[in-house]
Amino acid sequence: MMQLSDVLSYTLVHATLRSTAPILLATIAAVISKQANIINMGIEGIMLFGAYTGYVVGYFTRSWVAGVLASVAVGTLLGMLVGCAHLKFKAHILVVGFAVNMLALAMTRFMLQQIFGVSGALVLPDPVSLPTIHIAALESSPVLSSLFSDYCFMEPIAILLVIALWLVLYKTSVGLHLRSVGLNEPSAMTAGIDIGRNKFMAITLSGLFAGLAGAYLSMGYSTMFVENMTNGRGYMALAAMNFGSGNPLFAMGGALIFGFMDSIGARLQSFGFPSQFVLMIPYVTTVVVLTIAMVSARRKEKAMILKQYRDGEKTVQTS
Amino acid sequence: MTLLPYIKLDHIVKQFGSVKAVDDCSIEVRKGEIFSLIGENGAGKSTMMKLLYGIHRPDQGLIQLDGQTLEDLTPQKAIACGIGMVHQEFMLVKEFTVLENIILGFEPKGPMGRIDFAAAREKVQRYIDDYSLDVQPDKLVQNISVGEAQRVEIIKTLYRGANVLILDEPTAVLTPGETKQFFDILRSMRDDGKTIIFISHKLHEVLEISDRIGVMRRGKYMATLDRPEATAEKLVNLMVGRNVEMSDRPSPCHPGPVVLEVQDLEVLGQRWLSTIKKVSFHLCAGEILGVAGVDGNGQSELVDAICGLRPILAGSVKLTGREMAGKKAGQLRKAGLAHIPEDRNTRGLNKEFTINENLVAIHLEEVSRGELLDRKKIAQKGKELIEKYDIRPADGELKAGTLSGGNAQKIVVAREIESGGKLLIAAQPTRGVDIGAIESIRGYLNRAKEQGVAVLLISADLDEIIALSDRIIVLHEGRISGELPGGDVDMERLGLLMTGGKSDEG
Repeated sequence: MMQLSDVLSYTLVHATLRSTAPILLATIAAVISKQANIINMGIEGIMLFGAYTGYVVGYFTRSWVAGVLASVAVGTLLGMLVGCAHLKFKAHILVVGFAVNMLALAMTRFMLQQIFGVSGALVLPDPVSLPTIHIAALESSPVLSSLFSDYCFMEPIAILLVIALWLVLYKTSVGLHLRSVGLNEPSAMTAGIDIGRNKFMAITLSGLFAGLAGAYLSMGYSTMFVENMTNGRGYMALAAMNFGSGNPLFAMGGALIFGFMDSIGARLQSFGFPSQFVLMIPYVTTVVVLTIAMVSARRKEKAMILKQYRDGEKTVQTS
Repeated sequence: MTLLPYIKLDHIVKQFGSVKAVDDCSIEVRKGEIFSLIGENGAGKSTMMKLLYGIHRPDQGLIQLDGQTLEDLTPQKAIACGIGMVHQEFMLVKEFTVLENIILGFEPKGPMGRIDFAAAREKVQRYIDDYSLDVQPDKLVQNISVGEAQRVEIIKTLYRGANVLILDEPTAVLTPGETKQFFDILRSMRDDGKTIIFISHKLHEVLEISDRIGVMRRGKYMATLDRPEATAEKLVNLMVGRNVEMSDRPSPCHPGPVVLEVQDLEVLGQRWLSTIKKVSFHLCAGEILGVAGVDGNGQSELVDAICGLRPILAGSVKLTGREMAGKKAGQLRKAGLAHIPEDRNTRGLNKEFTINENLVAIHLEEVSRGELLDRKKIAQKGKELIEKYDIRPADGELKAGTLSGGNAQKIVVAREIESGGKLLIAAQPTRGVDIGAIESIRGYLNRAKEQGVAVLLISADLDEIIALSDRIIVLHEGRISGELPGGDVDMERLGLLMTGGKSDEG
């Protein structure tokens, strides 16, 4: 019989961070493009391409570095493609995004069948995987070792990347320029900022990080490639970005919620909880998170005006 | 002041599509002077200055600065040459702080590409002190007043090293008191050796501030006048090409029963300034009630609330005695509301539809047979209104988007007046239209009043308020700061009420 304490134990921290990492990397991609006022719906597909490329290239070259670089390169190229279609040829970004997503699903399945003759999952013998950091000093304590040891190196890096992104966005010229482009194009233009270049840069970087997220998914989170293995994580990243209204630190909060629900779901399933309900969890969470984000944004806006109203009344009464 | 031209725009031609916005114009501006460029809306003033600032490229002609020809000008290059422009619409990112807006694009950099905010602050503070500009660098732009936003724009251009300042209709959003203060800033900048180009269509302001005045009309450059030789009559003549006799007094008024009664109305606005706070007034049949005030003091919110386009927080709106607060726009229309919206391009017209379709749009039942539209009836009704309201070109099958501002506005005015409403809300009815159309639109409003319609006129143009209103209420920060009788208006009192009855900035 399933025990609540088995689900909610200290090991959940490790599991949550593990499940959060792919969403978090994708969230970085979502935040960067959002700052240029572009909703990059294609993150999901770019991630899937990244996952496939990294896994396969890593296997053939026997090098995880090569695998990651290949994922990143494919992600960057796809980002540029999306940018070109949207910025140069003025295609609607949602349409371009869905095109990439559908292409990714079909293309990876096709290559799976043509190159490896399999469908569904590709499990290669002796695949390469991203290195994990084992801290030998903690071996004696199972709790500390679970909390701090044996992370894939990409997991702490994802968190550092979020902080770095926050610094770039809010403390540097590059960030100020990018945000001004996203918030008010005419102002940015009259300040001599190149709108097109900034937007293209943002969407290219968005592709780069989505590719990286894919590489982690097939070489770190797991060591195989499965059709549609992103399974909506790109969309969750967009939801997390929305939850943080484009601020990377708050968006990380959103990504953590998804990671947490994901790892809880995995445990519930192994305890015999009906799988249909478990599979629903991430999507229900997405809806809930988005609703909370929108309701709180609207509340905040109203509260601000009401506060101004009351403050104004006060100053009128006292004067 | 040297008499040699510092800025020279030589035989400039600029065409947008089939319209010649600027047709062979030459302007010379001297160093260290305040040069005004005056003309009606659409005369080409703004276009000319956007060419100088590099936003548009001229099709023909030369632009010279201090004897050097500037080629392939872009805003970046113009800024590098020391040309700065304050646009009609403020170019500020409202989510950024004042300081971030000022340094945007020209940030002092510290190590690792970080912005050196301390250095920026110091430099900005110098300009604030030099010209005693009242600006708070750490406030978010969305929380500052319009006047302060304008000062931020000026600091922005100074910060970028501008020696030449182009100001596009800078006083349109200011109260009379703020304008005076603003002119003092301009004068002290001129005395500092800056060259200032001031675009306006307000005669008295131009006469007050300029050293020399250039006049444009319909894309042509008419003349340059030295301040001493310029008079209001001369300027109007050059601007319009004829003497315009516009009545500056409302026609006689015989008010009937109360049509609109607003009691303790409260409406949330985008910001505190424009939030409507316990506003009460009434309006009778056959009367024009003018709502004066500086833009953004709640005019749009008031109109939207009365028209059912914005939720009402508290209070009542009665239309011919029936409570209408909380009713939808459609129900209000049925109850006798007609509305000329302030933005004809998004709310007043469907630019992709024809003139005829726009004219019949709110009473489709009159031109349909059952559920089907009757093309013949539409054409007939359209023809009738086009003639009555002198809409040009008189072809009802043209898309509304192809018409000039004045004629497009006449479509809206015709449709709303002919809708048979008892209450007509006219929000900025002549904004951005030519002087001929202004004359006729004002005539239509007067005619509606004489036929017993209650007209609520909201306008940022004081001349218009004075020329039409039987009574005037003044909105300031979302409150009615006072009411004045129409006719001989005490301008000083009106100006004072617009600023809230006290000079709020010292």
